[in-house]
Amino acid sequence: MSGPLDLSRRDLLRLGGATALGGLLAACGGSGGDDRGSGGANAEMQYMFWGSTGEQKAIQEMLQGFQKKNGGGTIKPVFTPGDDFDTKLNALLASNRAPDVSYLNTPMAYRIAAEGKLVDIAQYFDKYPQLKERLPETFFWWDEEHTLGTQGAQEVMLLWHNKKAFKDAGIEPPPVEAAKAWNWDQFVAAATRLTVDQSGRRPDQAGFDAKKIKRFGALAPLWSGAWYGLLLSAGVDFLDEAGTTTMINSGEAIKVFQNIMDLMYVHRVAPTPTQLGNNAPGLAVQLTSDRVAMSIDGQWALLDIAQTRTDYGIGVLPSYGTPTTTSMGGPTAIFSSTKQLDRALELYLYESDPTASNLFASGLWMPLEKKYYTDPAQIALWTDNKAHPPEYKTAVIDYTLNHSKAYFYQKTKNIEAVDKLLVPAVEQMQTGKQPVAKVLNALAAKLNDGVLKGRFPTPSLS
Amino acid sequence: MTLAIARRIALWIVLLAGAVIMLAPFVWLVRSALMTDSQIFVTPPQWLPDPVAWSNFSEALTAQPFYLYLFNTMLIEFFVVTGTTITCAFAGFAFARLRWRGRNLVFGLLLTGVMLPYAVTLVPTFIMWSSVDALDTFYPLIVPAWFAGAGGGVFSIFLYRQFFLTIPFELDEAAYIDGANPWQVFWRIILPLSKPVVVVVVIFTFIGVWNDFLGPLLYLGGDDSKFTLALGLATFQSTYTAQWGYLMAASLAVILPIVALFFLLQRYFVEGVTLSGLKR
Amino acid sequence: MTATDVAPPAAPAAPPLRPSKRGRSGLTKTEQRWGMLFALPAVLGFLIFTVGPMIASLIMSLTDWRIGAPISFTGVENYQRMASDDLFWKSLGVTTYYTLGSVPAVLIVGFFVAMLVNTGVRGKSLWRTIYYLPTLVPAVASAVLWIWIFNPDSGLLNSALRSAGLPGSNWIYDERTAIPSLILMSTWGFGNAMVIFLAGLQGVPTDLYEAVALDGGGAWAKFRHVTLPFMTPTIFYNLVTGVIGTFQAFNQAYIMTNGGPNNSTLFYIYYLYTKAFTDGEMGYASALAWVLFIIVLIVTVLMFRNARRWVFYEMGGAR
Repeated sequence: MSGPLDLSRRDLLRLGGATALGGLLAACGGSGGDDRGSGGANAEMQYMFWGSTGEQKAIQEMLQGFQKKNGGGTIKPVFTPGDDFDTKLNALLASNRAPDVSYLNTPMAYRIAAEGKLVDIAQYFDKYPQLKERLPETFFWWDEEHTLGTQGAQEVMLLWHNKKAFKDAGIEPPPVEAAKAWNWDQFVAAATRLTVDQSGRRPDQAGFDAKKIKRFGALAPLWSGAWYGLLLSAGVDFLDEAGTTTMINSGEAIKVFQNIMDLMYVHRVAPTPTQLGNNAPGLAVQLTSDRVAMSIDGQWALLDIAQTRTDYGIGVLPSYGTPTTTSMGGPTAIFSSTKQLDRALELYLYESDPTASNLFASGLWMPLEKKYYTDPAQIALWTDNKAHPPEYKTAVIDYTLNHSKAYFYQKTKNIEAVDKLLVPAVEQMQTGKQPVAKVLNALAAKLNDGVLKGRFPTPSLS
Repeated sequence: MTLAIARRIALWIVLLAGAVIMLAPFVWLVRSALMTDSQIFVTPPQWLPDPVAWSNFSEALTAQPFYLYLFNTMLIEFFVVTGTTITCAFAGFAFARLRWRGRNLVFGLLLTGVMLPYAVTLVPTFIMWSSVDALDTFYPLIVPAWFAGAGGGVFSIFLYRQFFLTIPFELDEAAYIDGANPWQVFWRIILPLSKPVVVVVVIFTFIGVWNDFLGPLLYLGGDDSKFTLALGLATFQSTYTAQWGYLMAASLAVILPIVALFFLLQRYFVEGVTLSGLKR
Repeated sequence: MTATDVAPPAAPAAPPLRPSKRGRSGLTKTEQRWGMLFALPAVLGFLIFTVGPMIASLIMSLTDWRIGAPISFTGVENYQRMASDDLFWKSLGVTTYYTLGSVPAVLIVGFFVAMLVNTGVRGKSLWRTIYYLPTLVPAVASAVLWIWIFNPDSGLLNSALRSAGLPGSNWIYDERTAIPSLILMSTWGFGNAMVIFLAGLQGVPTDLYEAVALDGGGAWAKFRHVTLPFMTPTIFYNLVTGVIGTFQAFNQAYIMTNGGPNNSTLFYIYYLYTKAFTDGEMGYASALAWVLFIIVLIVTVLMFRNARRWVFYEMGGAR
């Protein structure tokens, strides 16, 4: 690749900068880049993140707590609101001003990790053994030996529901135990009982008006994070063993997708995308307003739902044989440009302690280390509070520990290109006008034509 | 006579119908600002908030130091609006009413500056400001304005140019014969005749700064004591969370000042004062 | 008939040379100096803030640069890659379609409304403010609003159509109607064009209206022979800036549709933006940017060329 004209990035940018500012800046151009001090213990560190105003406050408090405990210089929270997080981070990285610790989006994390921009956490397993205790699925390994660390927190997909709707319909709520998970037919049957139009009729009754629905039985799991668990339960992964061929057009997968589309167009128990609308409100609002009786959504919804007065419940996803759910979470990583590596690592450990911030107890996050899922005393640390309902231990903690697999977006190479094909394909299917098999076969043909580059490894930690 | 009345009535009907369409969003914004999130999205949609969630305003405006953000925004506004209005007028005058070699070429080059998508100039520009240690200061947002607004300011230059070109050249000729220099022609003749366009540039620049999100995010984002209103607003809506009631309440609070500004300034669009009475 | 005599020529083929009232030698030299002086801030600004990043991005387009990675020159590889990039062609088509629809719509509605609110109607200030309001609503808020307006089930548009006995549409949720829907939405934001037209209308000499009236010309004659010719510089401005701006449309795709359904609203800049910042392919994104630059440049040059035939400037103006 590198020819005789090989310029370093720095050179190129200098060129741009120098051209721009002319001789004026050429003199002081060398000062560009990192000037956050000598790296002494009192130098400033930066922690970059996104989130709601609530998350902003919680992170600021967590950082203050860390400083109080460990002393040292200030850690500046760099709160980056809105949708342009990657834009800002790219710009900072290009000008050698990356933060010390930061939230990241997965594709960018893998990309810059492979370029050596992120600290390889695997090198610190001996020094900080508890790092190895994190759930194996939460790691981002860019090759067999190197990992940029784990998710900032753990999340899984759950079957949320409004208990009152079930009581009204006179049916049992979804099971909380994975072993007793509904099969798909039971899920559809329940959704049919829960759906009512504005004159009180159900989809299986004469005169049902699908255009005027008072309450939908379910939301169709059209997001890949939501249907991935269903796919896995049918024994199909997104990729084959080798990671170079997609299984998305296998007979089982076609059936899973056909069933999802049938929720909207055959059983009429779920809103179509047009009925739902872009920018639809979050799950909490949907359940509270009794617009929807149940939905596959992330554990994070607990934060919002626990604050409403809705009588909500949590169950496990329906299953096609092997009960499985999707686990996920964006990575938090340390930039290798940090001048205070030890302190950054301490902070990295500290922030995942469920007592360090209220983000765990409030229901937004789940912890990363295994002991918080197995040891009752440790479990109580983060779930013994108002936000976490009684069934949480079985329906979430045990489910996560024994029946979850990491979201394929976090493990598939070249996911940006995959995403650009996958999303339009799902959009075609969800209109109900294109045969599922035809769309999936076309998608598979495109994916198998060199787009798939394998998957990232998940090596054993012991 | 009846024809005139009929015409007037027709005009009113058209204006009213249009106003309903134009006002719908605003009404919707006001109504959403007074609703809880679950009310906003209820179907079928309800137009009137019940109960009225006045707390959206107090909570949205205290969730963040909005007065500080307002101060920061106004500081940037002051320097950017004055700089752009003045230096772009200079350039517009040069391109419209003075003859000099290379004029059209230079104008064409300036115009190319807005044709390249900012997405690819963003990083080099950022590196440039970074290399002079100007991050988390107001300079990257203010300084370019005093050089004809850099990027987007070219549109203002172009606008001035187009308007200056409609003013009769006899006025300049007469002034030059009386011994005036180009500065005097600009200041005493052209500018006073161009109030409407100055007002347009002021309004557009003001609104552009007011709503600019990406600029402050890049250049002030590292220091939340320098945040602007647009950045504060974005906090309510991001990829993973949306607090619609707050967002709408804050949006409303944020646009009211510019509505007032526009209402005040638009009266400078008064027909015919500029050129009537001139001998043609 | 005689109205045409008083009105300025709508299409001066080549403006006559400026009468040489000014001394040939003395003032032209001064004029040269003053011209350069007045343009100096803008030229400096261009050299300092624009040229550098432009050149940098041009060089980037010849590399495989990904932010955070080493860089190597790949020549025109990025440009060759575009030829076989389906999404590039798709986004180019989408953007062209949108521009061809949105720019004329905004221009016509903006002009029409500017004329309306420039008349002697009572409450002029209020009308103008009302019609300008939509442009003041922040992009995020107006996107949320339009998503609701476009909702096929409960949205404002379909409700209105249905009560009028007309069939509804799936608006932004259908591949075929997504772009027309966004064009409709952009038309609603005609306020900026209107304001510029309003400012332009103040420069139309009222004495010429009187002249037309004396000649027995009606409203149409006034419009056709006075208003329209005097407004051509303003129309031209709105056309050029409209085209340049619309080619770079971004927000609707970013906030409302994410480019969907099935890439039907994949605006060029949206595609470029995700390439640059989500995928980190700064080199390829730069190449995309320069192709768009060339396209917009050619279109703009053509518009300026063409302008000589229909834009009326005061004598001695742009040459």
